[in-house]
This record gives sequence, structure tokens and C-alpha cells, in this order.
Amino acid sequence: MPRNPHALFRENIPAYALGALDANDSTALAAHLKSCASCRDELAAYQILSDNLLMAIPPQNPPAALRQRLKTKLPSARKAPNGPWTWSFVQSALAIGFVALLLLNIFTLFLMQSFQRQQARLSNQLQSEQTAMALLSYPDTQTLLINSQEVTGTVLLEKDRNTVVIILWNLSPIADNQTYQIWLISPDGDRTSAGLFRPQADQPFTSIPIFSKQALSDFRGIGATLEPLGGSSHPTGLRLFSVDF
Amino acid sequence: MVNLDDAELVAQVALGNEQAFLALFDRYASRVHAVTLRVLHDPMLAEEATQDTFVKLWSRAHLFSSKRGSPLVWLLTIARRTALDQVRLEARRPILSDSNDPDDMWQTIPDGDTLSEESRWRALYFAVQTLSTEHRQVIELAYYQGLSQSEIAETLGWPLGTVKTRLRAAMEQLRREWNR
Repeated sequence: MPRNPHALFRENIPAYALGALDANDSTALAAHLKSCASCRDELAAYQILSDNLLMAIPPQNPPAALRQRLKTKLPSARKAPNGPWTWSFVQSALAIGFVALLLLNIFTLFLMQSFQRQQARLSNQLQSEQTAMALLSYPDTQTLLINSQEVTGTVLLEKDRNTVVIILWNLSPIADNQTYQIWLISPDGDRTSAGLFRPQADQPFTSIPIFSKQALSDFRGIGATLEPLGGSSHPTGLRLFSVDF
Repeated sequence: MVNLDDAELVAQVALGNEQAFLALFDRYASRVHAVTLRVLHDPMLAEEATQDTFVKLWSRAHLFSSKRGSPLVWLLTIARRTALDQVRLEARRPILSDSNDPDDMWQTIPDGDTLSEESRWRALYFAVQTLSTEHRQVIELAYYQGLSQSEIAETLGWPLGTVKTRLRAAMEQLRREWNR
């Protein structure tokens, strides 16, 4: 005679309470427990036994170091600083050395940039003066005098080569937000910008070479005005000079 | 902290109270370690599992519900599962305890109060120890090594029906002892 399914489930309850029932039997018993109050009571009794089996083991003290190790895992230990941070002699020496090296590098960089600026200025000046010398020695070079209220000087003009060198003497210093701007003047009076320049501070004269892309024969004169830094699209400021070719 | 009961200490741990955590450690470290050592049979692995158990206590204290049992049962259940996870991780062969372990503290501690929980646990311990070898083996493998009945049958080379019968008989005997 086949056994009562309820009896079969009930036999499995002790193993279920220990967690030793095989998966299929465990699933089936779990389903049966939902509808069987007496089996739930039986399980509760065995569950108490199972829980108390954990306590039915003689206590064993863990190594003393474990408590200390656990304390280091708590938030207060992880946040706590390891005392005031102090510099060792070697750290201090390294830090000072690093700062000194950094300052030396910055100073060297500053010097290099200063030398480069000076070199560029001297190079421009040399090119300007060489151009002026070349024009002076060229037989067809036209020499025009500048004699305005603001400045005196010379314009060396070589129309065939579209080259002009302007040499200005005793040019007044200008503010940092200002620049001189050179204009080529067309026959109808229109002005075309031919470049910007500033007075050469360490020289009694300022020379400005101009290599025009447009034929100088298209223009009737040349002049300069004081303009805001960066220049203007047309003359807006004080006229420095104006010379007809 | 020492005046608070276990449930109050766990509630404090859930709030991040480190003193409560250390009080629980002082109160139950030896019990947790006993469980991990019983499962793992290796002092170093057991120490690691005991540490992991208390780390879990710190991080999961807010999940404790007194409706599902006492804090101690909850903590020891975590210890047992943590140790069993370690056994599975290392794919270790099941190890059976030596029933005549000379280091068992309960062999020497006098039993002054026969009605205390402590004495009941001691009685249950001796009840396990006095089971027949076959009955004690199935309890050991099922509960302290985490094996299913089929795995026990395979390990011991017994028919599955024999394992089921012996496990059921062992549990019935322990239940009688517990309810005595």
C-alpha cells in the first residue's frame, strides 16, 4: 500500500531543518509546508533544535590579535589620522631642492624669452638698417625728407622694388595701448595700412622697412598716425607725418 | 554598553556604534570562533571566517529582526554560513570531528546551574557526542560540513535510504534530549 504523501513529507522535516535535504525534496516540502500547519509546527520544533546545535559547541577563544584587527576595520580607525604629519630631514631637503629647481627653471625660461625678444628686435633692426643701406646705395632710390611738427626723418623709396624704409629721429614714446600705423595714400586720398610700429627705446632713431605687395606706383604718398593698439581700418588718431612721393 | 541586552547592542551597531560592536565581539567571539573552527578544522581559516562574520555583523546589523530569532542565533548562523562558504571555496573534503577532543572547554567547566541555557547547550553537546558513530557522522556532515543527504551517501558510501533513516533517527534522539 502506497504511503501517505504527508507522512513522506514529515519524514523529511529533520533533514530540512538541518539544510541537508536535496534540492528537489526541499522544493516539494517547502510547497507542502504552505498548506500543512502540523508540518509547520513540526519544522518549528526541529528548527529550534537546529539553532541550538550551533550553541552546543564548546566556546573557543579566537587569537587576541583578532579584536585589534577588527578595530582597525571600523570607520573611526580608518578616518583617524596617524598623528600630525611631520617632514623628515630627507623629505624637507627634497622639497627645498624641488622648489629651488622649479624657481631656477622659471627664471631660466624668463631669461630665454627675454633674450628671444631682444634677438628678434635686433634682427628686425638689422634687417631694417640693411634695407636702408641697400636703398641708399641703389642709384634709383628716392630720398624724401620728413619734417612735421611731431617728428623729423627720411623716407627711402624704391618704387621698382616696392620697397620703402622710413627712418624717424627722436620719436616720442607712446602708451602701451597705442601704436603707430603707416598708411600708403592713393591718388584719390584712400589710405591702405602698410604696417604697425613702436618707437625703438634704445636707439635715437627708429627705422621701419616696408615691402609693399601692391605697386608703390599706385600710391601718391605715405604717412603715419597714432592709433589704438592693434591698429585701425582707417586713420583715426594724431597724424605723425605725411610725405608725397 | 555591558548593561545592554544583545538586541539593544545589535540596534546600536546598526546605528554605527563601535563600542556596541566591540561589546558584542567580547560577548560572543568565543562562540563564533567555536562554530567556524568546528566547520573548518583549521585555526587560521577559522580566524579568518570569525573576522568575516563580525565584519558582516557590522555591515548587516540593520537587517537583523528579532522576529526570526535571537541575535546570538543570527550571528552564529552567519558564522556557519561564512565558514561553509570557505569550505566550498576551497573545495575541501569533508572532515569529521574527533569526538574525544581534549581541548573542549565544556569537559572541564563545572555545571552550576542545570536550568540555565548554558547547561542545556552543554547537555545537547554531550547528547551529540553520545550518539552512535553512524548517527553522529550524518549530523556532522549535514550540519557542520553543509552536505546534502545525497552527498553524505556518496561520501560515506552508504545507500541514500540509510542516510535518511540515520539522520532522522539522530535528530529524533537529539530532540528528545533537548526537550527532556
